[in-house]
Amino acid sequence: MASIHLQNIEKRYGGFVGVQNMSLEIADEEFLVLLGPSGCGKTTTMRMIAGLELPTDGKIVIGGEEMTEIDARDRDVAMVFQGYALYPNMSIYENIRFPLRMRGIPASEHDARIRQAADMVELGGFLDRKPGALSGGQRQRAALARAVVRQPQVFLMDEPLSNLDAKLRQSMRVQIKHMQRQLKVTTVYVTHDQIEAMTLADRIVIMNKGAIQQVGTPDQIYSDPANTFVAGFIGSPPMNLIEGTAQNGRFVAPGVSAPCPDYVRGKVTLGVRPEDCHVGGDDLQGMVYGVEPTGDTTYLTVLAGTKKIEVKAAREYRSDIDVPVGITFDPAHLYFFGEDGQRIRGTA
Amino acid sequence: MAKPRKSRGESLLLRYLVLGGWALVCLLPILWFLSIGFRPRTEVITPHPIYWPTFSLDAWHLLMSDWPIALYLRNSVIAVAGSVVIDLLLAIPAAYALARYEFKGREDIGFYILSTRMMAPAIVAVPIFFLFKTLGLLDSVWALMLIYAAINLSLVTWIIRSYMLDIPKELEDAARTDGAGDLTILREIIVPACLPGIITAAVIAAIFAINEFLFTLLIASTSNAYTMSVALANFTGGSDGIIYNAIALVSFIAFVPILILVILIQKHLSRGLTMGAVKG
Repeated sequence: MASIHLQNIEKRYGGFVGVQNMSLEIADEEFLVLLGPSGCGKTTTMRMIAGLELPTDGKIVIGGEEMTEIDARDRDVAMVFQGYALYPNMSIYENIRFPLRMRGIPASEHDARIRQAADMVELGGFLDRKPGALSGGQRQRAALARAVVRQPQVFLMDEPLSNLDAKLRQSMRVQIKHMQRQLKVTTVYVTHDQIEAMTLADRIVIMNKGAIQQVGTPDQIYSDPANTFVAGFIGSPPMNLIEGTAQNGRFVAPGVSAPCPDYVRGKVTLGVRPEDCHVGGDDLQGMVYGVEPTGDTTYLTVLAGTKKIEVKAAREYRSDIDVPVGITFDPAHLYFFGEDGQRIRGTA
Repeated sequence: MAKPRKSRGESLLLRYLVLGGWALVCLLPILWFLSIGFRPRTEVITPHPIYWPTFSLDAWHLLMSDWPIALYLRNSVIAVAGSVVIDLLLAIPAAYALARYEFKGREDIGFYILSTRMMAPAIVAVPIFFLFKTLGLLDSVWALMLIYAAINLSLVTWIIRSYMLDIPKELEDAARTDGAGDLTILREIIVPACLPGIITAAVIAAIFAINEFLFTLLIASTSNAYTMSVALANFTGGSDGIIYNAIALVSFIAFVPILILVILIQKHLSRGLTMGAVKG
């Protein structure tokens, strides 16, 4: 159990900046998710916490001890990899045992701990198999058991579910969250999948181009995005972002004329989530581009000018294409972003 | 237009016929050797070919009584096996360093190691002769062991390195976070994972060493250090002129270990061991 402090860490490869001046406090027992598109620096950040890469600058403190220059094997950190990284020549039993042997844990304790870890991930019956004889989901559970078995201070998980199919991913997600709550181990989890981030995290760190965009609980990230990048990255379908101009309390763009606060002026971007758009009214006028019923809801795409707007319509909503349609925005849930992409907030 | 399809049995039979025929063509020289080796001397040189010769163990008896074949085989085995062990002990750590460590000139060193293989052996023959003379190692199996090891080291290093490059780096990262140091990772993760490559390299080195001729001829001057390859070349069958059936038999005996090694290497050429380590 440990907190993690990253103080102004930076990773440069020649002229390329992988992670720039990043500071982050991760509380003890917290489940923190690093979220971002590929190449945003999230995996590099995690590898620096693991000790697999050294930061070019800055300090890493784990459990109150400075770890910046300490070798990976001397940090009490367990990592789960995207490709599972099971040792192919060893049985699952030996795989799970490996960290116990390496850490000098007395041999008399091994068997009980291995079986306990394997039972936790429901892999008890597969201990004598080689990794090659297991399915993807089983391999991932074996990798989890290997991380759990030595009761580390910190779990690091690098896209552990991305090689699994959708259904398995959902059940493994719940299993990982349950396990983390049960073991109360500080966890850093890297993913590019916003659903995983939303469902697993106590707090999410959204990264882009090596820099933190926003840190917050899933609710904060969803309902109070700091900039257009966060707004467009979170949500499925993501937030509609409409570029236009605002003056005298109105936001205007092709096909759009909606009320906006007085302090929003000039060239701005309006953000509105599909569920805050309602069929009827005239904040936005356009043509029906497509209708997608999913069973429990129906998504409507409206073409306004050249811009496609996603609307979450009533479940029974149906329409032909190229029919004129009007949309109302929920005035309480409109977001405005300046030309720099940052959120415009009221001065009051 | 659909072609008329042959029944499964017919096409299978055809396949076996073609493959069997080809196998026979490939085996013919070996069968011919055996046939010469096990016929009487009088049937070896005749104006007309004899396809079904009389079976005779004359050549075998001659070899067993007149020729220290056990000594030559022993020399071969010691020199070859010893050289392969030396190669593996040096090449595995070298290959790991070349495959994984980042250091300046890594590619250059890798290429330099390989380039030693490109030199014509005759260039270094004379210096090597004087080197071993000074060391007092002429006519010694141990000298041959060192020479074979030196000749094959670059090749063994490169083969093993190429297998190591294929091992996912994640495996090492995992071992490191699990608490393993460099030597443990090499011993417990890397070597088992590239075992097929190590075996392949060892067998190739052994085959080259068994067939090595030039340096063996240079260093070995008596039966003390003769290996099969040089002994075979010196063998004419004794004082009664050239005895071809005995030569054929000796050649066959020299060929058997190589055949066995090739069969071994075939089995291990598949890289199946790393399957399942990463992704599917």
